[in-house]
Amino acid sequence: MACVSAASGPGGGAELSMRQINRWTNGEWILVLALIAEVAVFSAIARNFFTVANFFEVMRLSIELGLLAVALTPVIISGGIDLSVGAMMGLSAVLFGAASRDWQVGIPAAMAVALAAGCAGGGLNAVLVSRLDIPPLIVTLGSLSLFRGIAEGLTRGAVNYTDFPRGFLALGQGYLWGVIPAQLPLFVAIVAAYAVMLHRSVIGRALYAIGFTAAGARYAGIPVRRRVGLVYLLSGLMASVAAIVYVAHLGQARSDAGTGYELDAITAVVLGGTSVFGGRGTLWGTLLGLFALTVLRNGLQLAALPSELAGVMTGALLLATIASDRVRSHARVEARPDLEEIDVKNSQVAVLCGAVIAGSLIVAGTNVWLVRSIAGPSRAPAAGAPASAGRRPVIAMMPKAKGDPYFISCRAGAEEAARELGVDLIWDGPTSLDAARQNELVENWITRKVDVIAVAVENRGGISSVLRKARDRGIRVLTWDADAEADARDFFVNQATPEGIANTLTDEAARLLGNTGDFAIITGALSAANQNEWIANIKKRLAEKYPNLKLATIRPSDDDRDKAFAETQTILRVYPSVKLVMAISAPAVPGSAEAVRQARRTDVSVIGLSLPNINKPYVHGGVVQAVILWNTRDLGYLTVLAGAKLAENAFAPGARTIDAGRLGTLEVRGSEIILGAPLLMNKANIDKYDF
Amino acid sequence: MASRHRREASVAAAILLLLAALAVVAPGFFVRENLSDLLLANVPVLLIAIGATLVILTGEIDISVGSVFAICGVVAGLAAHLGLPMLVIALAVCTAGAILGAANGALVAYVGLPSIVVTLATLVAWRDALRWATQGAWIQDLPPAFQWLGLPQSTYPFVACGIALILQVTVSWTLRNVAAGRAVYATGSDADAARLAGFDTALVKLTVFAVGGSLTGLAALLNAVRFNQIPSNAGLGLEMKVIAAVVVGGAAIRGGRGTLAGTLLGVTLLAIVGPALVFVGVSAYWERAIQGAIILSAVAADAFRGWRASLPPQAPAVAQS
Repeated sequence: MACVSAASGPGGGAELSMRQINRWTNGEWILVLALIAEVAVFSAIARNFFTVANFFEVMRLSIELGLLAVALTPVIISGGIDLSVGAMMGLSAVLFGAASRDWQVGIPAAMAVALAAGCAGGGLNAVLVSRLDIPPLIVTLGSLSLFRGIAEGLTRGAVNYTDFPRGFLALGQGYLWGVIPAQLPLFVAIVAAYAVMLHRSVIGRALYAIGFTAAGARYAGIPVRRRVGLVYLLSGLMASVAAIVYVAHLGQARSDAGTGYELDAITAVVLGGTSVFGGRGTLWGTLLGLFALTVLRNGLQLAALPSELAGVMTGALLLATIASDRVRSHARVEARPDLEEIDVKNSQVAVLCGAVIAGSLIVAGTNVWLVRSIAGPSRAPAAGAPASAGRRPVIAMMPKAKGDPYFISCRAGAEEAARELGVDLIWDGPTSLDAARQNELVENWITRKVDVIAVAVENRGGISSVLRKARDRGIRVLTWDADAEADARDFFVNQATPEGIANTLTDEAARLLGNTGDFAIITGALSAANQNEWIANIKKRLAEKYPNLKLATIRPSDDDRDKAFAETQTILRVYPSVKLVMAISAPAVPGSAEAVRQARRTDVSVIGLSLPNINKPYVHGGVVQAVILWNTRDLGYLTVLAGAKLAENAFAPGARTIDAGRLGTLEVRGSEIILGAPLLMNKANIDKYDF
Repeated sequence: MASRHRREASVAAAILLLLAALAVVAPGFFVRENLSDLLLANVPVLLIAIGATLVILTGEIDISVGSVFAICGVVAGLAAHLGLPMLVIALAVCTAGAILGAANGALVAYVGLPSIVVTLATLVAWRDALRWATQGAWIQDLPPAFQWLGLPQSTYPFVACGIALILQVTVSWTLRNVAAGRAVYATGSDADAARLAGFDTALVKLTVFAVGGSLTGLAALLNAVRFNQIPSNAGLGLEMKVIAAVVVGGAAIRGGRGTLAGTLLGVTLLAIVGPALVFVGVSAYWERAIQGAIILSAVAADAFRGWRASLPPQAPAVAQS
């Protein structure tokens, strides 16, 4: 590398690219290679990857992200950044939902409201960046909190707008001529408009000049402030277009729409060779970056590899692309400006090739290793497996979030059942609560043609249409942990009803408080659907049965132990009358318990919904009085077992009972398989449970 | 002098205003235990922010701190499981942090990649790698001597504050008075000029990333010892919090300008805004919006004054890619 870094020095490279911006000079060919490699690898190892239907499915899944990435490209080319696009999406989605449902203004007017909000938000960024000269990173970091916060405030975190008219949903879910996703033409039109603006208009040239040097651009007579303002305004507008497409695609509008999309969009843009310092980049590069990203995700899911790998490989790909681009631009500084890019020194070609090969080796290596480590346990034929005719059924099971200890313990039971019954289990899900990612996974499993899909539903309205599609294709569909609409699945494995949970929690709280006093709730994220349903039921129970129990406050923990700790500390000070903290998110219970313990408030009890293992120290220490939960291991076990029976037609609608292996015979109520009553774990019995 | 510390002054004014309002509306905020809780919760944030300030002063940025924080927490837990003495554990986490930071720094300084891209890549890659390695499991059954660094709970706050204070003062003093500290400012003001003046700017950048990493490691340890188990998903979104604190404290995102005193003020402001809103009785649902509004208005007010006072605005320093 020494010869390369010795050649460093500003100047020539960027001047060159000003001249060649419309050609593929930003290392796009490396991305093309990467994309080809991805397609080749996944065609070999992933089922049904290389099909027309999957091609269009990838397109559809790329569009929301694509709109943001396309809008971000000119922002970054002009030397700025916009971190607020994901949050703007959330705000626009919520306003759109509110306009169409609460204000009854009709879909076109609601769209106008959403677009106006996008313009207003983008305009705010534009004014702060271009008029007040505040660095865009700071402005959009602030407006990210502001937009997301307004969306949360308007909906109080909980409102989820659904039930949009069919005609509108067709925009996000329908097909033209049976294959082309309905939102694709819109995306193509917007990309074309942006391409003209960026690559064929005076405005585009001005943006490159501004990104290259703002002072120089001003001396050249370019209205820098207006141009910079324009790109932020457009970026806000595109975020709201993306929000409308998102709502039509998922059939829901909630304040958490688009969470984390900003980083994905920036990744796509940067992957596409746009310089974060401005002045260089193309829209085509962005599109390539976008597809490199989405094809990677899609392929990993179709190959049933864990989605964590997507992050690791995206990071590697990003570094490899940028590094090779860097090597090339060094090379060009040395080469004469009028020579074509082929004239690079041999040594540099060698370095470049080395980097690319090393990168792909790492990727390939992790792949192979993963395939082995994943395939090892679950594909090994289990002893005593029922010899069903032909191949083993494939059950794809999705938790709400993969990293959550609750779902990890479900997985243990699911794998136990898979071993026992000799079925192949695919376990994958979003890495954090994300309704859009759940839909994406189900779509990919349909493409992969698994036998059974079992989903812990994050968003009822949104996922039901995809699940119906799966059923239409002959896939058996189960829901577990949280239900979808009844006609979207064959059975719901019901661990406990929201009422059951809420009543058990409230009754236990009332018992500990002697039916009178104040208590506080620590929830998960403010927009978490399950938690909000429990809270609603807890309030109902309070009104019906315990008029003297008062809910003092509800605070969010965002499923973060440390945040639950800090929130509980504050609650204990602000509300000294609170004698009980009810934490209804698994990591929040130990967090609250530690806060109570450290404050030495022996008069305050903690109860909640959590896992036994992480709470044992507190239960034995007398801080946590009760942990309420069903046996999560059994829930995973039962779900896979029911799936296997469905796949072998050993169990069908109408059955009254199900023979659930080690769980004995369980009741089936309508289309719900009942796991049993929730467990109430306390000092006396908690050591019996290990999950 | 006064104009040079304009931002610091306006943040300090905002803090005083907030505290004055609290003194009237919610005097309970000033109870000793509450202040000590706030202090303990934010000592780790301050340590990371000191590192982030150094990085930002050189004109770079590190958005991977949240992932490094999570990894170092897990490293601390694993080291504690081995029964190592506390000093060795501290050394181990600082080393782990320094290695992860230096990896970023090497790519930035010697390969010449833009830091936002490098650290974006490592933010995603390390977070997912950790998630994959631990499968989300927490580290439990830590030895009792791990909590509070093996000290009594009553003395630990003094130790934590002592560490933070020593670091704040020494780093601040170094930045002002030692050649190595001036090199940080010089690199951030104009890397080419600094190089021509004889500074090894690449080494400076590598060093600030490594120092930032080891401070993040130390912060992860000081955060972990407040509890008796270590979650593997700690520090989500930490990068935003830290960067917000640093830039609110007046550090120029393009490098070369900013002080640790400003960072301390920024951390303080963001640390008290959240709890203050609870004390005042603002509903949790509006909290984020208000926090965003406060950040935006703090920087906008500052920029507005500068805009009215000034000359045609300065051209942004354009870095070459």
